[in-house]
Amino acid sequence: MDAEAVETVAGVVRLLRRAAELAWTQADASGPRSSHQLLALGIDAAADEASCLLPRRARLDGPTPVGDNTAELLASAEQLLRWICVVGAPTRLLGLRVLVAELVWEANTGAGT
Amino acid sequence: MPARDQRTVGELLADSDALSRDTLLDVTPSQGPAMVRAWSPVVQSAAQLWAVLPPVSLAAPSGPDLMVRLRGLGQGIARSTAGHWPGPGPQDQRLLEIASNLLRARDLVERYGRDVQPTGAETRADIAAARARVIHTLYVGAHGTAVALRDYANDLRDCLREDIHRRRPVGLRPEAREIQEAEAMLSRFEVFEQLAAGYVAAHPVTGSVLGAVYPTPPPSRLQSALTAWDIQAHRTLAANPDAPDLVRIGRVQALIASAAAVVTEAAGEKTEIDPDMVERITGTLDASQVAWSRLATRWGELTSQDGRADPALSRAASEVRAAMSATACTATGWATPDQIAGRVDLKRALKSLHLSMVGAVDIAHLAREVAATDPTLTAPARMIAMRAQGEAEMAREQGVTAYDGRTWASPGQIAANQVIPLPEPARRGLVNLTNDVIASCNRAAATAAPLDPSDCAATKAPVDGGRRVRGASGKKIPGADPFTRGPRR
Repeated sequence: MDAEAVETVAGVVRLLRRAAELAWTQADASGPRSSHQLLALGIDAAADEASCLLPRRARLDGPTPVGDNTAELLASAEQLLRWICVVGAPTRLLGLRVLVAELVWEANTGAGT
Repeated sequence: MPARDQRTVGELLADSDALSRDTLLDVTPSQGPAMVRAWSPVVQSAAQLWAVLPPVSLAAPSGPDLMVRLRGLGQGIARSTAGHWPGPGPQDQRLLEIASNLLRARDLVERYGRDVQPTGAETRADIAAARARVIHTLYVGAHGTAVALRDYANDLRDCLREDIHRRRPVGLRPEAREIQEAEAMLSRFEVFEQLAAGYVAAHPVTGSVLGAVYPTPPPSRLQSALTAWDIQAHRTLAANPDAPDLVRIGRVQALIASAAAVVTEAAGEKTEIDPDMVERITGTLDASQVAWSRLATRWGELTSQDGRADPALSRAASEVRAAMSATACTATGWATPDQIAGRVDLKRALKSLHLSMVGAVDIAHLAREVAATDPTLTAPARMIAMRAQGEAEMAREQGVTAYDGRTWASPGQIAANQVIPLPEPARRGLVNLTNDVIASCNRAAATAAPLDPSDCAATKAPVDGGRRVRGASGKKIPGADPFTRGPRR
């Protein structure tokens, strides 16, 4: 991945981490058997996958993304990924985009709502 | 040089369908004209693919070909686009990508699928699925474009009203003619959508139509996922774990406790277990879930932005999540008892989850050891300063004065929020929270032990090396060591 793509994926990691934080807050507030846990864990997994795509030296710190809506943050992450998921992009990157798109769907329609 | 496109026809069609859904997920009014401009290539490439796809049956078609009509509509839209509205300009990249996918699929069918005949049931179903996907892509794409156009027209109308109100110069206002053109185009897309909707209603894009059959999860999936998780959690904890690893472990264990409670309730409803037991067991499982969640939250506070979880642990966590979804979830939350009973053998699932809860005791003990002794643990200085001070004050209330007058991070470290080693009081807070987890897991395992004929529940659960186990409050926890002594790790 070139420097621009690394920067973009780092932005995706920050968005996903913020979305996961919000999803966990919602899950914890909903009580012990909240089904929000599944969505939150899925976002965590996507954030882990995104950070694994980056070289070890890549810096993940930066401004915390603005917004307090999990679905919107996920949609922003998916939009960023769309810009770098061109033909010939690494398979794992394409897989990450599919994963995040599924989470957007889940957050809008499923247990995350 | 870009890599060769190696997608199959099925994958190209699935990607096109997903892209058309994207147009609905991400609608902005300004995209309307760009989507109209890109629509003609989509319809033309769909028609070209449609023409080379083999027929669904060898019999002569019973009615007119829908694609001929759709193609005609698409050509009409193309003429209006070039001649009237919206005129030349940027085109929507998602729709262009759909067009490119469909053309690539046409090339593949032409090259490799010429001799396919609808003789067998499977082949017929496959062809029907491909045709259904093509029309569905057009249907959703047309709907997405119509939604964007409606937003665009409404946006212009609002803008015009505002400009008239503010008496802006006429030349700077949106033209009423453009609003009319956009609405006229919108009605044409609605016609297109309705025509395609007829075909979609008759040929619904379901999993079975697409050949994408989602079988019930194999009985061993949940058990395998939980076993793999247990092994991986132990491995990660044994190899200098970081705070993100402890967060992930806490979160997954909390999810397992929740799922165990849901499946236990389902088993109770289906009279697989005694209703009195259900209440006792779910109560302890809920307490365990809360304890794990609190611990995960505390570890989460100590995670720096650059922290990364062990990839193997993340993979195992993903598999647990997938197995839980397949076993006990629907698109809208937890599945009903009937749904869960229809998917898995309740007793077997319950046993797997219960065994995992027993294993959780061991994981909690390891997490406690990490919190108490791991020398490599670090955390951001600001959070350490805050947490360590709070814990030191709590220790003073309990008569421990060893931390009085000490500072845990220098002003420079706090200013830069430097990542520094975890000091003793911060560890103390984590240890106390982990003691709560151990106590709640022990209670959950002990309460559910009668469900499991094996004696594994009684052989696990090491007790803190003979020391008294204290909770976050610092008090001795009743039930924290219900078993006299277990194997020490």
